[in-house]
Amino acid sequence: MRSAWKWVCLAGLAAWPATAQQVPVIEKTLSNGLRLLMVVRHDEPTIAGGWVAHVGSANERPGITGIAHLFEHMMFKGTPTIGTRDAEKDRQIMAEQDRIREEMRVEEAKVRAAFRRGEIEDWQKPEHQTPRWRELNQRFQELIKQQRELLVKNEFDRIYTSQGGSGMNAFTAKDLTAYFITVPANKLELWMWMESERLYRPVFREFYAERDVVYEERRLRVESTPLGKFEEAFESMVWKAHPYHWPVIGWPSDVASISKAEADAFYATYYAPQNITAILVGDFDPQTAVSLAERYFGRIPRGPQTAPEVITLEPPQPAEQRMVAEADTNPRVDVVWQSVPFQHRDGYALQVLAQVLNGRTGRLYKRLVLERQLATSAYASQDSMKWAGLFGISAEVREPKTPSELEEGIYEVLEELKNKEVPAEELQKVKNNFAAAEYRKLSSNMAILFQLIWQDGMGDWREINEAGAKIQAVTAADVQRVARKYLTRENRTVALYHRKTTSKAADTPVAAR
Amino acid sequence: MKRLMPFLMLWMAVLMTMAAEAIPDRPEKLQFPPLQYEPPKAADYRVVLKGGTVAYLAPDRSLPLVNIVVLMRVGSYLEPAGKEGLAELTGYLLARGGAGQRSAEELEERLAFLAAQLNSGVGAVQGSVSLNLLSKDLEEGLGLLRDVLTQPRFQEDKLALRKQQLLQSMKERNDESASIESYQSGYLSYGEDFFLNRHTTVASLEAIRREDLQAFHRRWMHPTNFILAVSGDFDRAEMIQKLERLLASWPFAGEKAPQPPSEYRLAEPGIYITEKDVNQGRVQIILPGVRRGDPDLIASQVMNHILGGGGFTSRIMNRVRSDEGLAYSAGTRLSPGVYYRGLFQAGFQTKSRTVAYATSIVLEEMRRITREKVSEQELETAKRAFIDTFPRQFATKAQVVAALADEEMTGRYFTDPDWFEKFRERVAAVTAEDVQRVAERLLRPERAVILVVGHKPDILLGHPQHAVSLKDLSKGPMVDLPLRDPLTMKPLPLAAK
Repeated sequence: MRSAWKWVCLAGLAAWPATAQQVPVIEKTLSNGLRLLMVVRHDEPTIAGGWVAHVGSANERPGITGIAHLFEHMMFKGTPTIGTRDAEKDRQIMAEQDRIREEMRVEEAKVRAAFRRGEIEDWQKPEHQTPRWRELNQRFQELIKQQRELLVKNEFDRIYTSQGGSGMNAFTAKDLTAYFITVPANKLELWMWMESERLYRPVFREFYAERDVVYEERRLRVESTPLGKFEEAFESMVWKAHPYHWPVIGWPSDVASISKAEADAFYATYYAPQNITAILVGDFDPQTAVSLAERYFGRIPRGPQTAPEVITLEPPQPAEQRMVAEADTNPRVDVVWQSVPFQHRDGYALQVLAQVLNGRTGRLYKRLVLERQLATSAYASQDSMKWAGLFGISAEVREPKTPSELEEGIYEVLEELKNKEVPAEELQKVKNNFAAAEYRKLSSNMAILFQLIWQDGMGDWREINEAGAKIQAVTAADVQRVARKYLTRENRTVALYHRKTTSKAADTPVAAR
Repeated sequence: MKRLMPFLMLWMAVLMTMAAEAIPDRPEKLQFPPLQYEPPKAADYRVVLKGGTVAYLAPDRSLPLVNIVVLMRVGSYLEPAGKEGLAELTGYLLARGGAGQRSAEELEERLAFLAAQLNSGVGAVQGSVSLNLLSKDLEEGLGLLRDVLTQPRFQEDKLALRKQQLLQSMKERNDESASIESYQSGYLSYGEDFFLNRHTTVASLEAIRREDLQAFHRRWMHPTNFILAVSGDFDRAEMIQKLERLLASWPFAGEKAPQPPSEYRLAEPGIYITEKDVNQGRVQIILPGVRRGDPDLIASQVMNHILGGGGFTSRIMNRVRSDEGLAYSAGTRLSPGVYYRGLFQAGFQTKSRTVAYATSIVLEEMRRITREKVSEQELETAKRAFIDTFPRQFATKAQVVAALADEEMTGRYFTDPDWFEKFRERVAAVTAEDVQRVAERLLRPERAVILVVGHKPDILLGHPQHAVSLKDLSKGPMVDLPLRDPLTMKPLPLAAK
């Protein structure tokens, strides 16, 4: 027997344009626990399809940080039928690869040990690999060559591309991992086939090369950018106990050594259907979609266990924390305060507060950029994540003012808000912009898909329709109260950036031609 | 209740049959209903207003919003020498410096209260003023738009503020290796004197006065140089009347903007290295590309898709990223030039020690596609990608009018009016021979200009597992390309040898 059909329909489908602010989401739970959200729109002959796995870097542990993101990459590597000409031989080669890699890990541990003892200065330098590692690597490269004979490169992408799929991508956050694409309206079944297939029986081919790709992504985003490593360190300082402490992309040592076995275990726990929500937005018939979903996604067996929840609560911060950095950047100031997670009752007033501060008519711009000329730009935000949240203000110093002067200026703007309620008209301006955004957010299938991905990923897609009214209900007294409650000295972490005076690059001699 | 039962059971039986029906092992076995799609025709949207200005209108009552874009034939190519940055400043301050009876502060307050978005900007060869607002506020919004277009105040304090913001952003020109790559690529691709390389400097910024903005505005920002793209919640006939009023009796007569310059000079073949102490090198391989009217345009786009433009289905992504794990992003671009010949660019970022090896792979793939015919499957994938994603550029009404207005602005509406209509059949006609022919024509690795930004000592060291040396990858010289002073864009002295 299949489970009872539960239709949750917030607004009739036919009523779409008239009730534009309400997104008419249809929700259905499949027999294996996978949930399906659908929004029908006939604007263009396409469907934006995606799914969100309720797992992110917050579900990792030290030693395997970055694994949730590595997974996001591995999910494009195919299945027994997609990506290889000979599934059985492919499997055998991979088993042998994993075995050799386990031996290589032992050698890699020796390099880390040599590094700890100070015998080498850089554990990543290829010259420091042990002779045994090189020997093993040669055998490993042989196996790669053998496997390449059987590989159908990036076939998952090719199938979609040759059938009109576009914009296929995925992203990983601290709380969720999401996969999405747009397909022509007549290719709904293709989407069902492809997405259920890769969830049902993924094959993590080219695992080790992909680990290197992820490391290059880390170099690209974090290590070779002026602020990357500082922002990473800052965020770690903000979260001392909570797993938000480590970066989504993972610590260098971990990314370089995650094993296939660890990856398999992680998949079994977090990619079970009861931990996943599939979402369709666009031009399709919902009844057909439900039948197809039951047929395709329904074949995936429910996982044996429920994914464990994140238990750690960040202890209240006892004192202000501070980082003073010298970097290749214009001087700037970042301040964050511990605030509240998704759907916390104070979150709405904090969002309003952020918008009172933002924009060219916002408090930060008026006071700091125009009147006192301490900043060239300034921006505030309330970031409500699943388990905890932050309120932040970032601003660039207007030279020759200093980061410290700007920091003081920021606090003065906040004191004003704590001491005096926001006038009615100013509050109304902010609410008008939230109300107009309710329309603007419906501009495209993909825009709606992304909102559902985020909100379901945080724990409740209904927020897409419920947040608007909660924002409109915020009073000036609420804004004042949350400013006083959260934006305190002991609750904040501050980064001051000064421009690095001597650039190392200029001192490095350039070798003769 | 009872009468319903058989129906319910039948319904469930149907479902169970469906579920039980074997799922095919390959997606090629699935059958899909045909999809009909007809692209928008300019005639259905195009209106010539009384003064001769062309507007594209697409009513769409699904949301209570109106979107108006005034495209302007104006750009930094029209800046007088020594006043680099004038076009950008004028464009930005049009909407940000006050207008008509309103000071900048009053204008901002009113726009914010209406939750209206009124923005303006001028780029290299085109400018725009756009307004997005709730339809209930349309009348007032059009008034503000008219003020911004005809009577911008360019308030002195806002000009000073913007100059300061630009000055500070200039200081960051050498902070990111990506930003260094971008300006060095510009110099190598087009030569020092091409208008795209006339960067704003401290001196040019200081030389710009409020009167310069006023003069630039009055000379170019006139309905003769406008094309309008309007979509959203309105009645077509009423909107035409409103647009007539928006453009009626313009308070000044401007000049018709000339075509942007088209002559540029690509650097001599060779390897150009700029030192930047980061652990990942950025590489660009540059060759001349095509102009938009080129008869090989579509074949060259198909070729580029197979080589490196098609993301994960392309050869370069497969080899550099998937096979070797050498880069996160790797690919090629062949952006056709509208006013001047575009470029072919291959680019990727990889750790210093594998720069040479990854570059050699990309060059090898460039050679291979000129030597061997592409497979039928690759050709078919690339062609389907263009054909089946074609409707996406018209996903919203705002996109429809924007695409049509762009055709008008760039002149293809006159030279190739069937461009959209014929696009898919033209793609379908491309053969493997065509792909090889355009590859031979465009991809000449011996002429390539190779730019590398990164830590030179490590890059030259190479990798013990890959016996490739950077200097062997070009017959041309290896040149140290100095960083530029971020405030003057004059080359900085190279560090002592």
